[in-house]
Amino acid sequence: MSSTDTGERRRSGEARPVITELIDEATVQSIADDAWTALVGEDEFLVPIAGEFPGDVLSSWVDVVGPWTGTVVLTTGRETAAGLTRALLGDHAPAELEDEDIADAFGEIANVVGGNVKAALPGPSALSLPDVGHAPAVRNPADVCRLEVLWRGEALSISVQGALPALPVPHQH
Amino acid sequence: MTLTATSFDWVRALVHKESAIVLQPGKEYLVEARLLPIARQMGIADVSSFVDSVRTRPNPDHNRQIVEALTTNETSWFRDGDPFTALTSTVMPALLAARGPNERLQIWSAASSSGQEPYTIAMLLEDSLPGASTRVSITATDLSRQMVARTRAGRFSQLEVNRGLPATMLVRHFTRVGTEWEVAPTLRRMVTASECNLAAPLPRMGPFDVVYLRNVLIYFDLPTKQAILRRVRDLMRPDGWLFLGAAETTLGVDDTWERVVIGRSSAYRPLKGA
Amino acid sequence: MRALVIDDSRAMRRIVSGTLEDLGFEVNQAGDGQQGLEVLTGGWVPELVTVDWNMPVMDGLQFVAAVRANPAWRAMTIMMVTSESEHTQIVRALAAGAHEYVIKPFTADALRDKLALLGLLPQEVAL
Repeated sequence: MSSTDTGERRRSGEARPVITELIDEATVQSIADDAWTALVGEDEFLVPIAGEFPGDVLSSWVDVVGPWTGTVVLTTGRETAAGLTRALLGDHAPAELEDEDIADAFGEIANVVGGNVKAALPGPSALSLPDVGHAPAVRNPADVCRLEVLWRGEALSISVQGALPALPVPHQH
Repeated sequence: MTLTATSFDWVRALVHKESAIVLQPGKEYLVEARLLPIARQMGIADVSSFVDSVRTRPNPDHNRQIVEALTTNETSWFRDGDPFTALTSTVMPALLAARGPNERLQIWSAASSSGQEPYTIAMLLEDSLPGASTRVSITATDLSRQMVARTRAGRFSQLEVNRGLPATMLVRHFTRVGTEWEVAPTLRRMVTASECNLAAPLPRMGPFDVVYLRNVLIYFDLPTKQAILRRVRDLMRPDGWLFLGAAETTLGVDDTWERVVIGRSSAYRPLKGA
Repeated sequence: MRALVIDDSRAMRRIVSGTLEDLGFEVNQAGDGQQGLEVLTGGWVPELVTVDWNMPVMDGLQFVAAVRANPAWRAMTIMMVTSESEHTQIVRALAAGAHEYVIKPFTADALRDKLALLGLLPQEVAL
């Protein structure tokens, strides 16, 4: 595998941690479970089974910048994101959901999950405002903790992924 | 498949026998929601099939899991805060005046669930009484083995610390461990947790100066309520204080208690010579 | 009683406002700290403000500092409602002058418990 070298010489002591050294899927699942129970509904479960994503997917994400820098990305079908929005708003949901409502609610779920992921990582770190659209690309496949679940039978993923390219393999002298 | 009437009745009977807690008709949804995770752990898809399998092949561990899953509920920290205010405003000053300087005060949190009540008491005393950790010991008991283990660990989820714990107390007495919050070691040392079924003869404990027995009696029928109050009284000092839940009273249940109003709450004290 | 709910998420504003309205509060909303300050300077000074931390234009911590700098708003109770949940962040918010702190995600019961602690609920509801 080739990696992009920034030209900087790094000593081994300066190695960045990758996410798999800091957090595991079970932790991400417990964070998501809490968010779902509290916000989406008391009886809402995330079943830890990978599902089929439809063609039309939507992502929401927040950046974490600190000792570990990366992005917490939620991805699901657009219809499922709409369902999440309705569940989140409950009685306050408008009859017709607009794209803006979905972006806002799905983004807020990313904010809640991301904020709690951040708190489980070494700090201090800063949290960005949420963004919604096409998921940011994975920069370093070794720096990803990815959870795939089903919500009401529909596929949903939560990916905690590093924003920085892989470090160059240290040269042996 | 939804829960059959036979399965529900069997679960009700089991829960009543083991815990004396009465599950009213209409609580089928609760049985479904609480037992489904256990059924799934055993590879059984629905609650009725799970109950059938436990009925036909009796196993005390499964019975216990069922009872535990149905008799625990969510607690918040300063749940109905007045009985805690009464502890620091009235009860502790009275007890400290009545006891010698080297006498250790004993407080019992009966039905302590995951530990919010005993640690609320520990935090309040730590903040208001110099040397609290050497002067007071807190016994926490619960029916559930799992709840006792959780109390010992002193770890709480984000959702749990959100429930009525003042933020100033959270930052003063807890540290973050991963996604959870852990109570300070000083407070954990004040609290001893063990299993105890209030509906059965009690282990040797106490004598207690203060007992918190809140939101427990409501689940029991009258004869069980009377038996529990009698057993609790036997473990209390003659000048001790008993706190019940806001909706509970000894009146009309057991007339060997005197009700004392403290601020907005009430405590019950053993009647002399009763 | 009146409450101002400040959050950049419309969904979250609806959730918090809905809970407060169920408890009998008259609620006003703002989408960031700056808008929140404008409501206050406009003369609508509530008993309670709930405020998110991460927001565009003016964040919740800056909002708390701005409110605390004005003695006329001293009686107002401020509760942060945010997904920022590190120990140090909670200490910073309390030091800046927030009275309480609710971590997202939260349930309606959690909000109610905190309001009971702050003495902002009638006793019979606080059960």
